[in-house]
Amino acid sequence: MMHISSILLFIMYFAALVAVSWCFTDMETGPGAALFSPPNGGDRFKIEGRAIVPGLKTQDWVSSARVLVEGEEYVGFLRTDGSFTVNDVPSGSYVVEIVSPTFRFEPVRVDITSKGKMRARLVNYIKTSEVIRQPYPLQIRASGPHSYFMKRETWGWTDFLMNPMVMMMVLPLLIIVLLPKVVNTNDPEMRKEMEQSMNMLSPNPELPDVSELMTKLFSGSKGSSKTSSSSSSSKGPRPAVKRR
Amino acid sequence: MLTTITNPQRRRINFRLPLCAEEVKVSAMAKLIFLWLKCLVSCCIVEAVFEDQVGKFDWRQQYVGKIRFSHFDSHVQSSKKVLMATEKNVFAALNTRTGELFWRHVDKTGPEGNIDAFLLHGQDALLVVGNGRLLRSWDISVGGLNWEVVLDSGSFQSACLIGQQDTVKHVAVLKKTVISVHYLSNGHQKWIENLPESENIDYQALYSGGNGEVYVLGIVPHSHIAIVVYSMEDGEIIKQTSVEAPWLSNIQTSCAVVGQGMITCVDSLTMSLYTLDMHTQSKMTQIPLQSLGLEVTPHFHPVLVSHQPNAAHQPLSEFLLQLGPEHHLLLQLNSGQMVVLRDFKPVRIFFLIKRKCVLFLLQGWIMASYIIKVPLLNPVFQIYVQAFLKKDDSVSYRVLVQTEDHTLTFIHLPGRVMWTREEALSEVVTMEMVELPLTGTQAELEGEFGKKADGLLSMVLKRLSSQLILLQAWVSHLWKLFYDARKPRSQVKNEISIENLSRDEFNLQKMMVMVTASGKLFGIDSKTGSILWKQYLNNVPSNAAFKLMVQRTTAHFPHPPQCTLLIKDKDTGLATLHVFNPIFGKKSHITPPALTQPILQSLMLPLMDQDYAKVLLLIDDQYKVTAFPSSKNVLQQLQETDLTTTQIWEVIIPTEIQKVVTVKGKRSNEHVHSQGRVMGDRSVLYKYLNPNLLAVVTESTDVHQERSFIGILLIDGVTGRIIHEAVQRKAKGPVHVVHSENWVVYEYWSTKSRRNEFSVIELYEGMELYNSTVFSSLDRPHAPHVLQQSYIFPSAISAMEATLTEKGITSRHLLIGLPSGGILSLPKMFLDPRRPEIVSEQSREENLIPYAPELLIRTEWFINYNQSVSRVRGIHTAPSGLESTCLVVAYGLDIYQTRVYPSKQFDVLKDDYDYMLISSVLFALFFATMISKRLAEVKLLNRAWR
Repeated sequence: MMHISSILLFIMYFAALVAVSWCFTDMETGPGAALFSPPNGGDRFKIEGRAIVPGLKTQDWVSSARVLVEGEEYVGFLRTDGSFTVNDVPSGSYVVEIVSPTFRFEPVRVDITSKGKMRARLVNYIKTSEVIRQPYPLQIRASGPHSYFMKRETWGWTDFLMNPMVMMMVLPLLIIVLLPKVVNTNDPEMRKEMEQSMNMLSPNPELPDVSELMTKLFSGSKGSSKTSSSSSSSKGPRPAVKRR
Repeated sequence: MLTTITNPQRRRINFRLPLCAEEVKVSAMAKLIFLWLKCLVSCCIVEAVFEDQVGKFDWRQQYVGKIRFSHFDSHVQSSKKVLMATEKNVFAALNTRTGELFWRHVDKTGPEGNIDAFLLHGQDALLVVGNGRLLRSWDISVGGLNWEVVLDSGSFQSACLIGQQDTVKHVAVLKKTVISVHYLSNGHQKWIENLPESENIDYQALYSGGNGEVYVLGIVPHSHIAIVVYSMEDGEIIKQTSVEAPWLSNIQTSCAVVGQGMITCVDSLTMSLYTLDMHTQSKMTQIPLQSLGLEVTPHFHPVLVSHQPNAAHQPLSEFLLQLGPEHHLLLQLNSGQMVVLRDFKPVRIFFLIKRKCVLFLLQGWIMASYIIKVPLLNPVFQIYVQAFLKKDDSVSYRVLVQTEDHTLTFIHLPGRVMWTREEALSEVVTMEMVELPLTGTQAELEGEFGKKADGLLSMVLKRLSSQLILLQAWVSHLWKLFYDARKPRSQVKNEISIENLSRDEFNLQKMMVMVTASGKLFGIDSKTGSILWKQYLNNVPSNAAFKLMVQRTTAHFPHPPQCTLLIKDKDTGLATLHVFNPIFGKKSHITPPALTQPILQSLMLPLMDQDYAKVLLLIDDQYKVTAFPSSKNVLQQLQETDLTTTQIWEVIIPTEIQKVVTVKGKRSNEHVHSQGRVMGDRSVLYKYLNPNLLAVVTESTDVHQERSFIGILLIDGVTGRIIHEAVQRKAKGPVHVVHSENWVVYEYWSTKSRRNEFSVIELYEGMELYNSTVFSSLDRPHAPHVLQQSYIFPSAISAMEATLTEKGITSRHLLIGLPSGGILSLPKMFLDPRRPEIVSEQSREENLIPYAPELLIRTEWFINYNQSVSRVRGIHTAPSGLESTCLVVAYGLDIYQTRVYPSKQFDVLKDDYDYMLISSVLFALFFATMISKRLAEVKLLNRAWR
């Protein structure tokens, strides 16, 4: 007799286990399968939680905040201590959001089984069946104030100078202005060397075409032999400077 | 032409939403794309408000709706709060000095958020919500919730505060079958009792005289009154009596508790007052009105009004008896003796406050007491009175008056209006934005170009004179600026009145004509939000549908602009037309046609009559057509004398499977600038720009989540040809649709994945245009290419509209009203079916964003920053004179007006344009050249000397 009763007990225990696990497994299979219950027939449950704005008294923000469940389908209000209850919610899966014009709260998905078991998880609209558990009763902490505004572009000298266009304009200017000062142009030897190098730069001394020179300089492979020679020779005067 | 859609499920459409099996892969890719997107978004297409622009060109007005219950906060002597529970399910606190909101709580719409009762005790406001479903207590100083409890089911009857020994600690709620008592401090239920014989007796009223007993009054109509007395401590029935009252049918309308627990009732048939002492008597005492020398106005149901200043005490022994619409009496009941204290014959309304009587005479529509005279435009609907002590300890009164047009006026006696609020604006139904008229000088200038040339010399002279006028205007403007600058800033007011209304430089200021559900029309200046005119139409039925049309704009001087409002009774279908001038709000002298038959449809034709008024056609249920205006000119243009209708095509949508929810055409004032899109390989993909295209949205009649679906049909309105048909399975409404250019965007709820989804359909002609000069629905042999893509949207939406600009060059944005109160400006380029899954050279060339399943909501895209707009019902967009700028008005419970720049302000200098920098650079350059010139001269001179 004892034996039978213990088996019975075991069976009952097992059945209870199955029932409990059933509550969650059917949700794991994905949304929409067994969670849905007719809205007017089934029981109504309540979603509870608390919203926290770190470092701020609750009375400063609760009057402008609301709890929205699935859009505006169910609405809850925040108590003066920041906690909230949304009553009269049938079983199902809902996105619970705290909306406040000043603070940003992350939404949470709350699943309610037809027996009233509650579970909170992260909202993932792409993988709707993914479960990353969140505490229930909900603890929703503000992740800071909303950023509504763009920063105006402020004008600063550093921004201006670091602009590549400006850099491109200023550096050659510096070279043009400073080089003649550094290189002693009155030295006849130097002048001769410079002239030589200039001649090397422009292969046709009768027609010193700057634009042609530029195109040659920048157009890669075709005039590579000439440009490479000219560029190597253009380096000529610089070691000369150092030599002095 | 007859087309039948038999099986909507047959056609299959490929959606780009990730399937379950691919989800992981897709989401990994999505993350990558997300990152890329974030980069892209943050660097180039951000369109947001700058902090210094706050309030510069936008404004918000917040409303609460028509008041149902209101109480003044008398807890603190210096309190400035008036609390109101409204028919829009809003509970709010207003500042009595300014009329502005302290705080406001917006509950669900519909019966579930309906406020049944409002009791105020000290700091706590108690609300019974949703037909007795919830009992809430609010802290009125903070505006936060104290507690909320769920009550047992059963329809709500009455609620009252219960006092005991001068303190109030409990609240009782009476339902059809039960009574429950709750603690005020935490809402916990003290006791709940079933009412005896509740199936026969209709329990209607609650009373507590402050002695620890709760009286429940019930009635068996035309038989007897049942009185059940409960002990407040444990809910035990102390006494149960029934009193014969065969003449009584309703306690709440004809009875009141007066003095020391005396039920007093009035009956018009027997012309008598009845009194009953609830403590001792078991039979009613009849006092014929004739014995008091009184008489009831025929066909008037007499009303009794008593007053209980504090729940812990008994009601006053004085009470009011209204015997006729303008006949009130102040009576006193003292130990069974009825005494007439005062007889007010020509009086409409008056009130009892703290044993004092304030009297308001309402003669005509002028409200006056013996001291005050305040003109009110409409009949008074409700009055709430606040008594307060002045500095010299005399009693004075403030009065909150609600008139029938939902205007709230707060009056400080004697006769000073503190503020007014137009609560009718909480339910705007439809609106239009009308351009303001030109001023005299502007009209003169415009006129110069309009007329035919009449000689060179006169033209030159005219030109010169107009330039002179402009110069004069400019000088006077400068003078005004100078004059204003000397005055302190607070005194300078740019007040806008109807007289000085004129179009501004870029046509950014317009007149917003708003139609409200109560039948009140408003003309609001879009720049400041001030109400310039208002008109209340008295004869509007409560369930009316409105359609507002602009028949003539301000462009046809000297003809005045003309708007027509079609008001249709939804039940009978009978309609009336109200023709008015949108700038001044005055009713036009033009008499609209009398409409005797129910109206099925109305449409505006692009045709104009000789006075430049567009023709409005109304089709009645006999399929006869009425034209307005119906001058000979119009009929000639229509080439018909007798207007009738003929059926050209028919598409049968089987009603047993699906029902049509919305039909959306394109907006008539929409311009499309570019005919096609340039592809990555420099070829052009031409848009299918059919002006006759209609988007028809259907919803399945089967609401089961596995079988419900949303259908969308694109039908050519001229030929009835179905251009495209799409079915979204496992989806349900509400569907929001925007139809513009060559695209349709719609949003629905996916029951399968429990999320909101957007879908976009774009139509293209292909690589070449069939007939580029003119579009004809009858001559388009090739069916357009249809592209469709769907996206996940991480929020529900309450309204959707697309931006609209003058020439359609500016890129489009979608304006989406969210339940959180934000208005999101989502660039259309995110809803583009050509967004590629794999980025290629060509798609990069085309600036296509790679496909990502989820659309982002960035708070930087909220055009209304923290100025939330509650319950957005509609968003109205209108072009301005600037191509870059679109005017936006969002309306719902609140009204919000702003401007958006979808492609940034490319045609005007930005408001942060740095004039200082550019002028300083110019000056610096100027001086640099001067100095270098001088230096060069010196150098030359030196060289010459060498």
